[in-house]
Amino acid sequence: MDHNHEEKIEDSEIKSWKSKLIWSWIFTVPIAFIMLLERIFDLSIVEMPYQSILILILAFPVVFIFGWPTIKAGIRGLVTFYFNMDSLISLGTVIAYLTGLIAFTGVIQDYSGVAAMIMAFFTTGKFVEAQARGRSSQEIRKLLELGAKTARIVKGNKEYDIPITEVQVGDILLIKPGEKIPTDGVVIKGESSVDESMVTGESLPVEKAKGMNVIGATINQDGILYVKTTKVGKDTFLAHIIELVEEAQGTKIPIQKLADKITSIFVPVILILSALTFIGWAIVTGDISRSLGVGIAVLVIACPCALGLATPTALMVSSGMGAKRGILIRKGEAIQTMKEVKIVVFDKTGTITKGKPEVTDINTIKGIKEKELLNISASLEKLSEHPIARAIVNKAALKSYRKVTGFKVLRGRGVEGKIGKSIVIIGNQTLMKERKIKLEKINKSIEDFEEDGKTTMIVTMNKKVLGVIAVADSVKEDSKEAIRKLNSYGYRTVMITGDNERTAKAIANQVGIKEVIANVLPENKAKKVEELQISGMVAFIGDGINDAPALKQSNVGIAMGTGTDIAIESGDIVLVNGSLIGVVQAINLSKATFKKIKQNLFWAFAYNVIAIPLAVAGVLHPVVAEIAMALSSITVVSNANLLKKKKID
Amino acid sequence: MKKLKLTIEGMHCASCASNIEKSLKKISGVNDARVSVMTKKGFVEAEDVVSDKDIEKAVSRAGYKLIKIE
Repeated sequence: MDHNHEEKIEDSEIKSWKSKLIWSWIFTVPIAFIMLLERIFDLSIVEMPYQSILILILAFPVVFIFGWPTIKAGIRGLVTFYFNMDSLISLGTVIAYLTGLIAFTGVIQDYSGVAAMIMAFFTTGKFVEAQARGRSSQEIRKLLELGAKTARIVKGNKEYDIPITEVQVGDILLIKPGEKIPTDGVVIKGESSVDESMVTGESLPVEKAKGMNVIGATINQDGILYVKTTKVGKDTFLAHIIELVEEAQGTKIPIQKLADKITSIFVPVILILSALTFIGWAIVTGDISRSLGVGIAVLVIACPCALGLATPTALMVSSGMGAKRGILIRKGEAIQTMKEVKIVVFDKTGTITKGKPEVTDINTIKGIKEKELLNISASLEKLSEHPIARAIVNKAALKSYRKVTGFKVLRGRGVEGKIGKSIVIIGNQTLMKERKIKLEKINKSIEDFEEDGKTTMIVTMNKKVLGVIAVADSVKEDSKEAIRKLNSYGYRTVMITGDNERTAKAIANQVGIKEVIANVLPENKAKKVEELQISGMVAFIGDGINDAPALKQSNVGIAMGTGTDIAIESGDIVLVNGSLIGVVQAINLSKATFKKIKQNLFWAFAYNVIAIPLAVAGVLHPVVAEIAMALSSITVVSNANLLKKKKID
Repeated sequence: MKKLKLTIEGMHCASCASNIEKSLKKISGVNDARVSVMTKKGFVEAEDVVSDKDIEKAVSRAGYKLIKIE
């Protein structure tokens, strides 16, 4: 991906404001000096009309050369009715400058020096603001710059360094210790640990060996890796993350709506208000000069920027903080909704647990050998994609499988098929009840396993029980800590699972969840979430693939990534690494961000509500008005940057 | 339906972003347009009949420059 160009936009913006700012002040400082001498000490450097001419000459480049982009955009806005900030500034400065020309007829005060000062302060304000905005987007920019620039490709016995853009899927890349892994791929030779923190937020290095996936832009630490490229360019993990973060910046947060509405009509309203102020003052005082000064002050004090930047800057800083920890905020709305959430619902498999079940125990009835049971089970389960099926197949590790006919997956319950003429059914108790298969012979062991939090699969042939296989999915290391924190914050924590009550409760006990909804078929999870929503807003945490409907149904859907893949389409917030600590961080981050947004909007509104009437009342000199305006948007952006100081871990 | 990502130059104020959004939404066939002053990016959801030229025109009508469309 080509991000260089975008970086240039940012940097060139700051640079161009900087040079304009320097040049503006070179001309404005003498003007200010002349004006001060005259005002305070009643001294003139040169005789009158010449002094006015000197100021006009000095002010001209400030307004019309260094300020030209602003004047041009402003006039364009006035003509096309796409009003913007520049429209106000350009009108204010041009009118002020023109007074300097009209002043020769002697009827009006000369504001041309003021025009230069307004433009100089405006430019200065914009420069400081652009810099502050740069700081807001710092973390995101780091993400954009993360990608490798080159790759070392292996062809035959030779190695070549090539630009990253020329790497193709299937290419074999060599990565030495300390080097950046150029793009996504799978290890074909070598072993190493890889630091993935910059992409996934996972702080511990991840061990990589043959057959494992690696993520582009992560750092190879101590071994040599040969990697076969699987994804390049826009399809890479990093590119997806960047896309997601960028797209999120445009999403609207409900609280921002009023500010947006005001921003969109702000400029025309101020134009009218300024004209009315001028007319009003002229009628009341009869002093055209003074009225003009007040009118100009109204034009330049009004600041839609503070209002308009209040939310996006905070969102930007927040996105950066999140991305660093592997938390991707997809929809800004989630930030606002999060503070209303009362209930946190977790899917069990793959969310609280590792999602990699393993066979722990096998119990057979008399006369059936363990090997025989596994042989039958694995032959059927081989045809299923379910994680439990895979666990059984792995345990059996058969060299050859029996022939199975009429295989069927019974969603959420088990599988069935025929081996020879025998009907084999493997599944949970619900399925056994459905098929009226008696379980008394193994009931005791089923109960025991379930009390340990294990899932049981009952193996039957021709409606007779052969035995039971117990599968356990161990709890993720930090699930307990995360749930303890959520409980202490006062959330109602709930676990939802397809497992039976006993198994589910055992797991819930291990991690500290008090409420369990068990025996839920995958397709009913969304409905259960809906039922919970009656008593309060729900955040649902699950994997993005199976739990998509529940994620959508919930008020805030948090999708768990698996480390090498992210579910982009579902979930308002995506956690790149699978740790539940991310949920705690995401909640804290959302709350802190929303608070910052509220603060910002408050100050932006307050500023305009106080400053505009003051300007209308004629209390503020136009230059003071301009300084206040510049400070207001700088304050908002700087305040957003303060979010970085918040502790969210 | 297609989703486009725009890179826009010349925005330096929040009212700029809302101007571009307004102008983009005026194109018939554009269902949604979101522009961020922070990232200088715009995201447009539009019917297939909307051409890159239409988008470029809308951006420049509001007074800004379209740098990249993807």
